[in-house]
Amino acid sequence: MRYLRLYAYFLRFSFSRAMEFRLDFFFRIGMDALWYVVHLVFFTVLFRHTNVLGSWNFDQMLVFAATLFLVDSLQMTILSNNRWMFPILVNRGDLDYYLVRPVSPLFFVSLREFAANSFLNLLMAFGILVWALMRYPEPIGWGRIVVYAPLVACGVTLFYVFSMLAVIPVFWLHSRDGLRQVFWSLNRFGQRPDGIYKGWIRRILVTMIPMALTASYPVRVLFDQNPLHIALHVVAVTVVSFAVLLMVWRRGLRAYSSASS
Amino acid sequence: MSTFAHIVSVEARTRLSYRGAFWFNAAFGFMSDFGVVFFVWTAMFAESGHAEIGGRTLSATINYYLLVALLGRMVRGDRFEGQISADIYEGGLNRYLVFPYSYFRFKYAQRLGQMAPEFLKSVVFGVLAISFVSFESAAFTVGSVIMGLGAVFVANLVFFLIMTIVHQVAFWADNVWSLDVAVWFVASLLGGWMLPLSVFSEPVRAWLEVLPFRFLYDFPVRVLMGEIGAVEWARGIVVVAVWCIALALVSRWVWRRGQRRYTGVGI
Repeated sequence: MRYLRLYAYFLRFSFSRAMEFRLDFFFRIGMDALWYVVHLVFFTVLFRHTNVLGSWNFDQMLVFAATLFLVDSLQMTILSNNRWMFPILVNRGDLDYYLVRPVSPLFFVSLREFAANSFLNLLMAFGILVWALMRYPEPIGWGRIVVYAPLVACGVTLFYVFSMLAVIPVFWLHSRDGLRQVFWSLNRFGQRPDGIYKGWIRRILVTMIPMALTASYPVRVLFDQNPLHIALHVVAVTVVSFAVLLMVWRRGLRAYSSASS
Repeated sequence: MSTFAHIVSVEARTRLSYRGAFWFNAAFGFMSDFGVVFFVWTAMFAESGHAEIGGRTLSATINYYLLVALLGRMVRGDRFEGQISADIYEGGLNRYLVFPYSYFRFKYAQRLGQMAPEFLKSVVFGVLAISFVSFESAAFTVGSVIMGLGAVFVANLVFFLIMTIVHQVAFWADNVWSLDVAVWFVASLLGGWMLPLSVFSEPVRAWLEVLPFRFLYDFPVRVLMGEIGAVEWARGIVVVAVWCIALALVSRWVWRRGQRRYTGVGI
């Protein structure tokens, strides 16, 4: 309850800050909207030349694209500003202020800044998802949608875990952004349907570096024969990944040397 | 050494100073850029059953993307780090205004310096790629390589001019990062980074022909692959030169308007 009340303060603070820079507020909305358009055009052009890609047809691919937008908008709204600031906090020694507070430093560092402008993109992405599901020619069934929703949350969590694992190395590297570039490179694999990956790359993308689970697997629950098996897999990988994050975070804090970092 | 060459040299040495992170990020970036499109297009050809898509076989498409990944870095770099918007926000533009040297010539020299490590990456990864990937679909000749490098040079200039205009929006806006990224999304789709332009429909391709974005990736890669002959290359260079002049004029107009708003105290 205390954490929820604290998060409500974060929201109020973030909205008032976002309105200070009005032009940027709209630029960011436009940027994300353009990202959605670019991806929709990308998949539309591909499907001019094929009926199936990664075992999905165009209607299924639209649901995948919408899920990708939803996961992205959720992470952009809730996490992105915080992840951007994290290396700066460590390198300047400003993390001290978070460590002395009587709340979890990881909670504070990860959720303090809520991107109010991206919140509008979240509504946009949700709208695209509803549209993609409504135009799907066959009935999907509420049972599958009930399983799908928490798996999207798992997808966002996995995105969070691996993006944090990429920036936490600043505790040791003292570089400007840790391994953030590596994360963005790996994230590109998650922006395409998992069905296109084969062999050992596929095994890595659904287990050790589970970028295929952020959007593809939640969508698989809507269309595959065995949704519960997929759901269990995603939940298990999410739990293990989060445990790894906590372990690395604690080790990072031990290596933190305050302002001299 | 001229001032321009000196700036290029200083910037290049700065970029190469963080060798570990430089090569680590470069290797991952290259592998993911190329890896994802490899799987997408392998699946596309396998599942569609077509022997050719957009006039290219699978092998030619893979070659196209490999060259986009290699040459694209020389056009765009890791990202645009002209710092023009930062100079405007922080009031750092003041010192350039009193320098006896053109601000944009200085920034362009810096950009060419930033490209030096990108060139090095492209050469190293290019040599590695030749060892593993067959380039039988690309008709490399001495002429196509020379013309291709010329096309890359002007593509880099076009990208610089576009981003120069975008970053000068900082005279009016508090943050142009989103705008910078948005322009990159458009350039990557309409320039041939995400998709070869030949896979678009005929009417869309006609529109893309009149925009400058195709000169960023599609044109240099097709020149290098031997798909564009000397006459068409020369025609393309003339068109892109006209675009450069137009973009430079827009940039100068924005610069003059922006300077009237510039206070020099930062935000």
